[in-house]
Amino acid sequence: MSDANKTILLVEDNADDVALTLRAFKRSHLMNPIAVARDGVEALDFLFARGDHADRANAPLPTLIILDLKLPKLDGLSVLKALRADDRTRLLPVVILTSSKEEQDLISGYSLGANSYVRKPVDFAEFVEAVKVLGIYWLMMNQSPPERTAP
Amino acid sequence: MKISTKGRLATTTALASIVLIAGMISWANHEVDDANAKRRQTIELTRGLTELRLVTFEYMLNRHERARQQERDVSQRLDRAIAANAFSGPRQSEVVSDLRERSTTSHRIFEELAAADAADADPDSVKRFEAQLSSRLLILQQESLADAFALTDFSTERINAAQQRVVLVIAAGLALIALTTGGGAWLVHRDVLAPIACLEQATREVASGNWNHKLAVVSDDEIGELSRTFDAMTRSLQASFAQIERSNQELAALNQEVEAFSYSVSHDLRGPLRSMDGFSLALLEDYGDKLDDEARDSLQRIRAASQRMGRLIDDLLGLSRVTRVELALKPVNLSEIAREIADSIDQQNPARAVQWVIDPGLTLRADKALLQIAMQNLLENAYKFAGKTEQPVIRVGAIERDGAREYFVADNGVGFDMAYADRLFGAFQRLHHESEFSGTGIGLAIVQRIIRRHGGTIRAEAKPGLGATFFFKLKEQSA
Repeated sequence: MSDANKTILLVEDNADDVALTLRAFKRSHLMNPIAVARDGVEALDFLFARGDHADRANAPLPTLIILDLKLPKLDGLSVLKALRADDRTRLLPVVILTSSKEEQDLISGYSLGANSYVRKPVDFAEFVEAVKVLGIYWLMMNQSPPERTAP
Repeated sequence: MKISTKGRLATTTALASIVLIAGMISWANHEVDDANAKRRQTIELTRGLTELRLVTFEYMLNRHERARQQERDVSQRLDRAIAANAFSGPRQSEVVSDLRERSTTSHRIFEELAAADAADADPDSVKRFEAQLSSRLLILQQESLADAFALTDFSTERINAAQQRVVLVIAAGLALIALTTGGGAWLVHRDVLAPIACLEQATREVASGNWNHKLAVVSDDEIGELSRTFDAMTRSLQASFAQIERSNQELAALNQEVEAFSYSVSHDLRGPLRSMDGFSLALLEDYGDKLDDEARDSLQRIRAASQRMGRLIDDLLGLSRVTRVELALKPVNLSEIAREIADSIDQQNPARAVQWVIDPGLTLRADKALLQIAMQNLLENAYKFAGKTEQPVIRVGAIERDGAREYFVADNGVGFDMAYADRLFGAFQRLHHESEFSGTGIGLAIVQRIIRRHGGTIRAEAKPGLGATFFFKLKEQSA
């Protein structure tokens, strides 16, 4: 269905949520490769080819980042801030996918340059539907900004 | 010394001065009267002496028996006048006794002369005796006159002295009164007006929030007492405000904790539920064909419970948010809000037909977002509980009750027994089984909190089978 080269970076610390999100992508027939970062630091390492991800130098950046807010080490909003501060990832589409719909999270998320904010529903059927819509929109309908490679 | 004591002292001094002056005037008046009387007596004496001289001369010239008789009368009168003269000074008494002596002598000589006449003695010797007598008489009488004048002078002097003393005493008294009044005015300024100005300034300072302003007055009069009370009051106020400040800080800290708690609940409590629901569904989808009906039913129940808990968490967060959010009061059109909610409910439930009767032009001053949440809950409640009525009607309007405007949402649904009305607005309180009417039991708690945050009240009237009406009023009624 979608361009198999378009990678998705899922930043999520909860293993259950990772499994469910991957399952939701599968059930939505989205076959794109999905990389998973377990905390904010790993997410930035992955994007900027540092630390454990140093071998990613020159690898293409993901097409979409799905970002949870509550993360160990570095939280989602700090990751977003770092992304928007770097020229290479300044325009990268970021969708916040999180449990909370606290007003302060919504305001901070959009203020820091999130492209979308989706709340994880408890009902898994709704969750699958949300992930499906999200994947179709960002991977197929949306025109991505001009591609850049990781350093 | 107390101000009242000083005041009493000044008043007493002034009164004493006045009494003293009055006394002096009265004494001087008496003195002058007495001196005048004495003067009149001495004038009387002078006149008597002059008369005595005239009568003596007349007798010596004419030798009439009448003149002799007259001399006796005048002499007796003079004796009485001299006896009545009550001069008390030593010199005056001396003069009076001289007068008395001369008068007696003069009368004795006159009698001797008269006796010589009666005896028809030798005219020559009579003449000689007469010449001797008359010259002695003249000298005596002349001296007496001089004495009488001296007495008159004494009286005049006394009058003058009394008058002079009166002038002095009045002047001194007036000076004393002036001194008392001036001193009093100065004391009033120093002890009353200046401290009151200080106190007034202090009141201003404290009113403007300067708790450290101290009067520190040391005087032990009434103003000093008042100032110390004022300082004590300031200190106690300062303590109270510090207490309030501390309480406020504690409250703010508590609020922050609640905020953090809600945030954590919002993020962390829903994750496990998502897992329960998600993996139950995964089981059903992946292994459904290998499970029997009971196993599938169990998995469905796990999913239903997870989703219900998710709704409960959301509603609780909503309830907590209603308490925390800041009010933005503006004129709000309640009719419009109700109409929009009704339309949206109808859209979501196209199969059901409910008659909405919404009075137009209901406006009130409220926080629009919160009022919307309240109306959403009330109207959804009404819609839900009218679900089993044949011709459901939901009304929104306003009535006047006890002089206040009450807004209401009424339905003709199942209603409830008023015996349970007090449980209606508690969180998680339900008057119906969930199998009959779904819901978390938090909706009315949210409505009540919203109304209370507007300083208002909410109440319900209902009858089983006939429907329920919710009345609410806000503190700010005019839009």
